[in-house]
Amino acid sequence: MSILMEVVAEQWEYRELLVRMTARDLLLRYKQTVMGFGWAIFMPLVNTAIFSVIFTRVAAIDVGTPYPVYAFCGLVAWNFFASSLRFSVTSLTSNPSLVTKVYFPREIFPFSAVLVSIVDFAVSSLVLVALMLYYRVEVGWPLLMLPVVVLAIIVFTAATALVISMANLFYRDVKYLFEIVIAVWMFATSVVYPIGRVGGKLGAVLALNPMTHLIDAFRAVLLDQRMPGMAFHLTFAASILMLAGAWVMFHLAEFDFAENL
Amino acid sequence: MSAVIFEGVSKKFRRGERHDSLRDLVPSLVKRAMRGAPDRTALADQEFWAVKDMSFKVGAGEALGIIGPNGAGKSTTLKLLTKILRPTKGRIEINGRVGALIEVAAGFHPDLTGRENVYLQGAIMGMPRAEIARKFDAIVDFSGVQDFIDTPVKRYSSGMNARLGFAIAAHLDPDVLIIDEVLSVGDVGFQEKCVTRMRELLGRGIPLVFVSHNLSAVVQLCTRAILVDRGAVQFDGRPAEAVAEFRKARRDNPAASGASADKPMAITGVQLLQADGESSPLFTTGKPMTIRVGYEAREPIHKPHVAIDIHGVDGVYCAGINTRMDDCSLGTLEGRGFVDLAISKLALLPGCYTISAGILDPQGLRPLDLQERAFPFSVVSDRRDFGFVYLEHQWTHGHGVDARPVRLEARLSPRPARSLAAVAVQEELG
Repeated sequence: MSILMEVVAEQWEYRELLVRMTARDLLLRYKQTVMGFGWAIFMPLVNTAIFSVIFTRVAAIDVGTPYPVYAFCGLVAWNFFASSLRFSVTSLTSNPSLVTKVYFPREIFPFSAVLVSIVDFAVSSLVLVALMLYYRVEVGWPLLMLPVVVLAIIVFTAATALVISMANLFYRDVKYLFEIVIAVWMFATSVVYPIGRVGGKLGAVLALNPMTHLIDAFRAVLLDQRMPGMAFHLTFAASILMLAGAWVMFHLAEFDFAENL
Repeated sequence: MSAVIFEGVSKKFRRGERHDSLRDLVPSLVKRAMRGAPDRTALADQEFWAVKDMSFKVGAGEALGIIGPNGAGKSTTLKLLTKILRPTKGRIEINGRVGALIEVAAGFHPDLTGRENVYLQGAIMGMPRAEIARKFDAIVDFSGVQDFIDTPVKRYSSGMNARLGFAIAAHLDPDVLIIDEVLSVGDVGFQEKCVTRMRELLGRGIPLVFVSHNLSAVVQLCTRAILVDRGAVQFDGRPAEAVAEFRKARRDNPAASGASADKPMAITGVQLLQADGESSPLFTTGKPMTIRVGYEAREPIHKPHVAIDIHGVDGVYCAGINTRMDDCSLGTLEGRGFVDLAISKLALLPGCYTISAGILDPQGLRPLDLQERAFPFSVVSDRRDFGFVYLEHQWTHGHGVDARPVRLEARLSPRPARSLAAVAVQEELG
């Protein structure tokens, strides 16, 4: 517990660096790409279009809300998670000169990857709002829970980001493994279709997927005017514990980073 | 209270390649499970101690030099100091913010402009944004890249890059300053700026740790030095003595060759002797020094000349003495013997010097044998003058037009490094 307090305090001390590193990555994206933040909107839009064709024309399913809003909502949340992790996984290994030559809390690398994705998340959320207005989706009081749901998604993402960035530093296989896992994971989550339809033993296993509960909660407060259920609260609590555990683990391994890079 | 404390610090590394794939994880986990957790302090196969049981302290106002041969553990020590590595054993305590002038441009991103990189690198070094904004102009001014501050760093020359990085580091207000060979950055003017800045920090009582192969810089800048070899402190004391010790340790006398067929006369060795006739690499300003040049002649050589040059480590030609200029005749030489050059009062200030010795033909034109900068020695003293040469001097003062001059006595308290003279003067004035 004291280690946790210590690392959080240290991270707080270096908060400006975290902001700087995030600003660096955002600035670089602007300088290096023509589309800039456009990519944050473009990707989920293309995916929404594809899945809309599949699930409204080929294998139509009823999701209770206009399908494009349903899919885009899920994709925005999922893309935040997936792109945070995609940046995190190589965040330590792609900055060898900083990791081996200058000291500051190494969490800054995965954390700034998450922060960059939060900016993308915010940008693509604007499109989500536009879609919701277009399809006249009504919102109600449960919307007040939105910040809590987003926080839960961020906490879970940050915990996972810490683990995989560290894992990839020690074992470079993780980077490749990650691509497979993230592809499978997306279809094991309620991103573009309700995973509850799976049922049976497989359904029971898939119900353990924390991302499903987080994305379901995200959609519940935004589109369905429902308060998040028990599963969400449990997932949130577990995510907090995971983040604490991952952070302590990361800190203990941190001093071996320079030697293993 | 010491600003830096190293107490029995050891650091273990492993030789050879470490494979970073999951393939290697499984066997190693199995091995661990069978044998139990390995003892952290024991050496396993392929492991070695890069730093072993190292202890030293640096106090306020002290400038500690760390010298030693390649692979002695200097870089590891530096990385331990900057918290990049964690010791396997022992305790490291550092009080306050560490300013490290190591890899000063490590955080630079090539696609960002100089301005953006100043903010980024400043943050990496632990400077708050407001502090960087306040010092921004001074940093740019110091670096001398004003005209290119809004150009991406990838278009910078390596010198500009390093200068900008160093300028940021130089404007940190550290509690402890750690420096690694920064004096090799930039041109002479820039180096002077750096040294001035370091002395300024030292003058404020900020402790400094300086790792360098530039022995002369260590002697000039530091108040104390440790000689590190095979991961341990071999000597701890005055910089000039540490340098002398370092040279003694790796004494490879290149002059130990005899005369041969194509070389009728050769220098067999040069010995540096103190007043008591003892051979030593360490001398004192104003005290005697004798340079003994041993020779061997295969055939009778008529009236050869012996020449001795003294150079500062940075190449400055300090003195050149030879028998031809002094019009001394050695007569005809054959077999083995030696020629002594006795200097009654060594007029060199503290620092590192090298001696070149030569035997020239009677006309003094063609060298029969030449040993260039082969014999190093160090000078120590309480003298605080600047430069290379000690000029014997006396201050007097006449107050009023017809006053009788009054002698002013110099007070020589032992002060370890002459480079601190400027600081000392400030102290005495203020």
